[in-house]
Amino acid sequence: MIFRQLGYLFKAAGNNLWNFRGRNFISVLIIGFSFLIIGIFLALSNNLTYLGEQLSNNLAISFFLDKNLKSEDLEFIKSQILTSSLVDQVAYVSSDEALKRFTASFPELKDILDHLQSNPFPPSYEVRLKKKTMSLTAITSFIENIRHLKGVIDVQFNQEWVEKMESLSRIVKAIGFFLGGILIMASFFIISNVVRLNVFARKNEIEILRLVGATNTFIRIPFLIEGFVLGLLGSLISIFILFLLIKIFPIYVGSSLGAAKELLALRPLTTEQLTWLITGGAVIGTLGSVTSVSRFLRV
Amino acid sequence: MIELYHIWKQYQKPHWALSDVSIEINSGDFCFITGPSGSGKTTLLKIIFKEILPTEGQILIDGVNILKIPDHKIYRLRRTMGIVFQDFRLLFHQSVFDNVAIPLKILGIPYKEIRRRVFNALRQVNLHHKMWEFPQRLSYGEQQRVAIARAIVNNPKILLADEPTGNLDPELAFEIMSIFKEINKQGATVIIGSHDRELIRHFGDKIFFLQKGKIIGKEVKQ
Repeated sequence: MIFRQLGYLFKAAGNNLWNFRGRNFISVLIIGFSFLIIGIFLALSNNLTYLGEQLSNNLAISFFLDKNLKSEDLEFIKSQILTSSLVDQVAYVSSDEALKRFTASFPELKDILDHLQSNPFPPSYEVRLKKKTMSLTAITSFIENIRHLKGVIDVQFNQEWVEKMESLSRIVKAIGFFLGGILIMASFFIISNVVRLNVFARKNEIEILRLVGATNTFIRIPFLIEGFVLGLLGSLISIFILFLLIKIFPIYVGSSLGAAKELLALRPLTTEQLTWLITGGAVIGTLGSVTSVSRFLRV
Repeated sequence: MIELYHIWKQYQKPHWALSDVSIEINSGDFCFITGPSGSGKTTLLKIIFKEILPTEGQILIDGVNILKIPDHKIYRLRRTMGIVFQDFRLLFHQSVFDNVAIPLKILGIPYKEIRRRVFNALRQVNLHHKMWEFPQRLSYGEQQRVAIARAIVNNPKILLADEPTGNLDPELAFEIMSIFKEINKQGATVIIGSHDRELIRHFGDKIFFLQKGKIIGKEVKQ
């Protein structure tokens, strides 16, 4: 009997979705639009995170060394560098290697180098920091520790750049929390109200079912299924439009943004984010529907 | 047995829609509640199936105080009733068949059986040929007959009807009353709110007269 009732309920939900297709279509569009805004925000935020990671990947510190260091001294300095948890890789660049790089980068200055008696470039350790290493205090303290070791003659590190990165990262996070919070709350209210209006338009139907002896569960289930489907469709549509935007955005808008192009690019959502969007749509649709129906179940 | 004790109902102060109404209706009765428009017939019927609550008073159906039944269990009471609403309360986006089938689907009755019973109910109200039509394409009288078919499809123990023949021609009204009488003969208690004197004179076994919310008389045919 329960399966038969469930059969009727699924059929009723399907019929209702079709019978009220105009209203449902608008609901799906509104839900989709709300999720699209969240999606665009996530895609922009993904891009900023990506840029941040790229920049931190390129963060390198060069410790210039005395040319006459013995191999055990070199090993000692390397071991000291590697004790820091900030360090990802350490590479030794010999004087010859440094000279080669210089000539490759600045071939027009080769003549000047030819006139020099000896190789002017000191050997160095090039240190790459781990991804997401943004704490300037930690980096400065690490540099100070190594700088004072015997045999280290100089350090090259762009502190201003790290400071900028650090503040950019803070701003992005703050905007992320603020806008993300507002967007999620606004979307929740918009979506639950759309679903509520949808249910309100069918308040008579709920009353009639109550008066002819339907249980609350019997009345709720079709609305629950409908809410689930509308929420799911809305979030899927938003993902589809977002996908198109990501493809089209750089072609039509990207070039007109000039220097901001890199910052304002949309980067595809991760599988985890997509799953959250889809689940969010289905959950908000279902919850909005069920809570709205409950208001009319007191006849 | 349906017993109403000192029922008072007030929608808005200071007017009372019902004032101290006490009536008893035995199982198997075929009774009318009559009176002019605004006398409280619809209010009284709505209180019996607990669509609205009385301001004061108690209602017992087969010894159970229905005012004490919690909202989520009220369906048990309503499944024993067939109700013809004054405004029909049909679902306009569903076919005549689907409208009449609602009380049966709720019970999880097999589709074949639903088809058989819905067809019979519609044949009784002479509307079986419009089974797949949608209510908005039917006349007012036809919509009323759909509402009647929905009320009788489940062989209810209690049939409540609020002006069930208000929009029907006299011939059809008599036919509908005959159907109600038939259901009554099978054991159902029938309570009809109506001001159609001709019908009441012809069919009524027990008649309650309401005026300005008060019972001003009762007539029982022998």
